[in-house]
Amino acid sequence: MAQRKSKIKVLLAQFPLESHNRGIITVAGMLKDAGMEVVLIGNDLPERIIETAIQEDADVVGISTYCGGELALGADLMKSAAEKGIKESTVFLLGGIFPPHNMARLKELGFSATFLAADRAEIVSCIQKAVAEKKSSAQSGAA
Amino acid sequence: MNSQKTTRQILEEKTAASERVPLYNPEAIKNISAEFERWKNTVVREQDRQHWTVTPHTMLGSEIPRELIYTPLNNAGLDYQQDLGFSGEEPYTRGIHPNVYRGRTFTMRQLFGAGSPDECNKRMKTLLEHGATGTNWALDLATVQMFDSDEPEARGQVATVGVPIDCVADMEAICQDIPIDKVSASIVTHYPRNTAITFPMYLVMAERRGVPWDRLAGSVQNDFIMESLVRSASEYIPPRDDFRIQCDNIEFIRKNVPQWNYVTLNGYNLREWGTSGVTEMAVALSNGIAILTEMARRGHDIDWIAERLAFFWAPANDFFEEVARIRAVRRLWYKIMKYRFEAKKPRSMWMRCHVQTSGVSLTREEPMNNVIRSAYQALAAVLGGAQSLHVDSYDEAYSVPSEEASLLSLRTQQIIEAETQVTQVVDPLGGSFYVESLTNEIEARILDEVDEIERLGGIVEVVASGWLHRKVVRHIEREQKMIESGEIKVVGRNYHRDPNLKMPDVRVHEFDENIARQMRDKLARLRQQRDNEKVNRCLAALKDACRRGDNVMQYTLECARADATEGEMRRVFIAAFGAWKPPIYG
Repeated sequence: MAQRKSKIKVLLAQFPLESHNRGIITVAGMLKDAGMEVVLIGNDLPERIIETAIQEDADVVGISTYCGGELALGADLMKSAAEKGIKESTVFLLGGIFPPHNMARLKELGFSATFLAADRAEIVSCIQKAVAEKKSSAQSGAA
Repeated sequence: MNSQKTTRQILEEKTAASERVPLYNPEAIKNISAEFERWKNTVVREQDRQHWTVTPHTMLGSEIPRELIYTPLNNAGLDYQQDLGFSGEEPYTRGIHPNVYRGRTFTMRQLFGAGSPDECNKRMKTLLEHGATGTNWALDLATVQMFDSDEPEARGQVATVGVPIDCVADMEAICQDIPIDKVSASIVTHYPRNTAITFPMYLVMAERRGVPWDRLAGSVQNDFIMESLVRSASEYIPPRDDFRIQCDNIEFIRKNVPQWNYVTLNGYNLREWGTSGVTEMAVALSNGIAILTEMARRGHDIDWIAERLAFFWAPANDFFEEVARIRAVRRLWYKIMKYRFEAKKPRSMWMRCHVQTSGVSLTREEPMNNVIRSAYQALAAVLGGAQSLHVDSYDEAYSVPSEEASLLSLRTQQIIEAETQVTQVVDPLGGSFYVESLTNEIEARILDEVDEIERLGGIVEVVASGWLHRKVVRHIEREQKMIESGEIKVVGRNYHRDPNLKMPDVRVHEFDENIARQMRDKLARLRQQRDNEKVNRCLAALKDACRRGDNVMQYTLECARADATEGEMRRVFIAAFGAWKPPIYG
């Protein structure tokens, strides 16, 4: 297996109609401060977010959502990730404003974590832990 | 008008010669100054003397240093007539009307929307039956971002936070049996392109009902700052073209729909995105200056355009700063209109505004605290003399407001209006040493930032270059760190936080697949039944008009008459102008 880059690379995106981006800008700043490489692409369709994640070779895909549609579009994102073969190797996160009772359903879809009100330390450590787990399971799978 | 000079240079030159009549006599000022020094050095504690000036750090605040006490010495040169005057007279510092709220109380305008066009129509009729005099529509996200309900981008979100409008038939459903010649409509179109597309649908609906356009009253937002700077979106056109569409809309509506307010210069969403209250106003004023300059270039009389400009502001938590801000911008806009644009009509010099309390300053933690925050913000807006008010609801950090929370917002307004008695006296804080000093300081700072924007090439240039985007990103990142460090205190979040805090579950407006299906089916029928050749001819003519530089709204009107859809028109704009990407995205 090729040597992985040392910096964690995070792709941050929003679904097509999301008009708020204060949250994603805030998180981008936090992750850069924590030494991660951040690619902020803005709004796109789920399938195109996955294409970009593959091109960018991202370890993590983070979605910010405020205006609903997280279940339908989150399912599309995961379907596309599975079809392109990156669902198991990539960490998927979702944060913003959505009904708390959707958290369980989002986890079932394949999101490693979802955030409603999280602080810097929580987000950073969650990403570090999830990426490490993906890497170790990939290595044990390869062995 | 010399376009080489900045607004500040013009104001300085034109006001330099005016002779000032100080309110305070020099001898009194001399005595106060001596007494002040004695008091400060002998009565005031050493530690207070050392920390005489304190800079407040608040969400979206302007970080203007404050002294321990304000006296006539802070504003020793005050000229009552020149700086304050009487309400309803220049320089309008104290209000644009002589009697302010005694004549007409502030308009209590609460935004609503969600559901299908038919449901929206039912809800509006109920509100009108209960005494509402106007309607205020929130559009769903697909409509705001200009996608049809059947485009892939609209998946899962049709009719969730507002009403969907794809074509004239939806306008007809929303306005069914509503007397549109008597009831004013505030259509929150946000962007110039959205305004160019959906407002003609309203006009065609009126036309088909036989209501002449000069009987229609209401407003659209039509602000290019919203479209090119503030919003996030999957598609943008270059800011210069967006600015042109904003001006085309203004020109067309001014000529053809004389009672309609064609632009609301929106500081609100920019500030909520992440700027100080000074930048919020400097950017909106700069857009207003750019619009009037462009309209003069197109050969229009300044008063003809200026008299229907309106502003939209966000008051945050720093109470006196918010009161002073509204007073400061009222005086500054007057000066700009009088001296830079040489307006003749008083109405052109009025800074009329709608105010909405700050959503970003509300917390998810202990949401009932938001009731208190919003009430203080609303009180500040009223003490500043705003014309119209929306109070945010305590559950807005969770979702679109519930009915119970919306009612509490309306009650907040009614309590201010009917119980506190603050509306009985015009500009009640006028003359306060503190508020007048803060008003002067804020006015000067807004003008500094207007000057900075003009020196960098003007408002369109600072948006196109990414200068303003980067300024906002810096603000957001810095503010976040100040909240984390506790420098900005947020009660319940980082200050006196409850160690056993539990986040309440809340009901939210869920997506309804049935409405989405109805909208898709209706579009499919429309595309079968209409004259598609005519639609294509109209869309092609719109594209040519975009490239030639003709007023686009004349052409979007023809598209609407042919029953073209919103998404079809949006795609023409992209084809004609090309796509643009804000510089904060990689």
